[in-house]
Amino acid sequence: MNPSNLLPSQNLTMGCPVLDRCLGGGIPCNSLTELVAESSCGKTQFCLQLTLFAQLPPSHGGLSASSLYLHTEFPFPFRRLRHLSHSFRSSHANLILSNPYEDVYVHAVHDAHHLLDIMPKIECFVASRKTRLPVRLIVIDSIAALFRSEFGNNPLDLKRRSFLFFEISGMLKLLARKYGLAVVVTNQVVDFMGEVEGISGMRVGNLSSLHSSGRRVCPALGLAWSHCVNSRLFLSRNEEIVGRENDGLEDDLCRQTRRRLDVVFAPHLPPSSCEFVITKQGVFGVDR
Amino acid sequence: MEVGRLPLSASQRGKLISAGYTTLASLSSISPSDLARDLQVPESEAFEMLKVAKLGCGLEQPDKHTAIVNGAQTAWDILNEERLLPRITTSCADLDKILGGGINCKEVTEIGGVPGIGKTQLGIQLAVNVQIPVDCGGLGGKAVYIDTEGSFMVERALQIAEASVVNWSSYSELLRKESQACQVEIQPTDILEKIYYFRICTSTEQIALINYLDQFISEHKDVKIVIIDSVTFHFRQDFEDFALRNRLLGGMALKLMNLGKKYNLAVVIFNQVTTKCTEGSFQLSLALGDSWSHCCTNRVILYWNGDERNAYIDKSPSLRSASASFSVTSGGIRNSASKHKRIRVM
Repeated sequence: MNPSNLLPSQNLTMGCPVLDRCLGGGIPCNSLTELVAESSCGKTQFCLQLTLFAQLPPSHGGLSASSLYLHTEFPFPFRRLRHLSHSFRSSHANLILSNPYEDVYVHAVHDAHHLLDIMPKIECFVASRKTRLPVRLIVIDSIAALFRSEFGNNPLDLKRRSFLFFEISGMLKLLARKYGLAVVVTNQVVDFMGEVEGISGMRVGNLSSLHSSGRRVCPALGLAWSHCVNSRLFLSRNEEIVGRENDGLEDDLCRQTRRRLDVVFAPHLPPSSCEFVITKQGVFGVDR
Repeated sequence: MEVGRLPLSASQRGKLISAGYTTLASLSSISPSDLARDLQVPESEAFEMLKVAKLGCGLEQPDKHTAIVNGAQTAWDILNEERLLPRITTSCADLDKILGGGINCKEVTEIGGVPGIGKTQLGIQLAVNVQIPVDCGGLGGKAVYIDTEGSFMVERALQIAEASVVNWSSYSELLRKESQACQVEIQPTDILEKIYYFRICTSTEQIALINYLDQFISEHKDVKIVIIDSVTFHFRQDFEDFALRNRLLGGMALKLMNLGKKYNLAVVIFNQVTTKCTEGSFQLSLALGDSWSHCCTNRVILYWNGDERNAYIDKSPSLRSASASFSVTSGGIRNSASKHKRIRVM
């Protein structure tokens, strides 16, 4: 096959032109994209938004597709999804006819072996086309939670764990390739301890270090997993004091959270970053 | 070669030498009847002797493929051959310098590094650079790109191709000032059409493809580079039998090496890194273990040095260990912009 047959490649819009510009058009299909962030940075918000925008026709940056949402953290944020889909529906009234959240399929996953077990089922589901719209987006929120309990910190367990990484990622990429899916997984962070210069001089990606909430962090699951994803995006938040509010009784510091999206590595993107805000209507990039 | 070493009987050799035929060259232009008269032997015997002499001549010509079967190549021949071999540039002058001019044909080069260091970028760059037209000092070949990880992005390949086309045309314009060579316009999409892309999703597929490559390349002789990005991915899953894994990998490396020799093409293999626990401390090393590290001719490791990407020759039979910095730009791999000393010899 010649690469020119693959042109133009499809992207799934993030739902905001600023974010899309930062990501060269959105989340690429046939590819595995990872969102890394500590909790409450907006990983799930991004994922929920993607499941809605996937339903738009390709002319509007979507995939005309439904999505499969595998969640490992309980409970699934149904209420937030309903909120988002209401505002999504009102802003795209002419394009979306049914209830948007009817095209989001949700499944719970408990651990890594469970995920491997249901993988054939997932493939059947994607292939069957029984859904109103074909499934073109798979979200796993979050991959790190699958490996949280079972594996100890000894060489044998770590080895078993990294085999599982490659197996899971191989299967996800196979699905992505076969059915033209966009696959998005979220990952957690762990606090970074030790030398200034990475783990024995190791550094992954464009940024020499990742900071969130004033702490230095690095993505969970280690080096082996970072080989398993095609692109890695990092979300961070930092509190910033924007001014003082004096209401007479107390000196209150007025705080503002600044959120950032960074491209850690991606085969098709230069190092770039973008600030974003989370509002009632969803996630939006900010030009600064 | 002398007549004395021809596989003839001693009396025949004696007759030849005493009649003054000491070298093969002296036998090359004589007719059997003349030889029969000179040696005073029957014409049929002279005819047989000439036939043997002709065979002896054939052995001496080094470009005959039978030479490898019948006798070894001399080191001198190999050296001459190697000097003529073109190399595939990486588009980064410093990197080319430590590689001895670029990626060598007929060799297997392994390149490893952490995620995001630019392995895939280098792969795409090489797939484009192998197509540099012969007038611009390139190979004018085609590329086979085997993608096991799904990281090959077409938009990115197009971007690099576009930048390269601009470079080539400005280069050939420079050439044109001297000679009025007609210039063939190359479109970036033509470059993409000369990359044969295979997307591999399992280890079985990978082995099958490597086995099929021989046939594929024999049908597409102008393929000058085979890129595997990466060899590792499907082999880091749980294999029940690790000895089997190593045998499979070894076999694969051997096939690639033969492919390189047979069709005179470069093989570039990308590898991942892993942490290796030695004597209690963790160190980064390339994946797939020790037995794999013997499989490649050259080994290059890419690593971060501060904010700079660096490449280091880890293993090579002909190159000295050295490191050089490079950078990944929108147009592809280029020289690093920093003012540091760019090449370090270890």
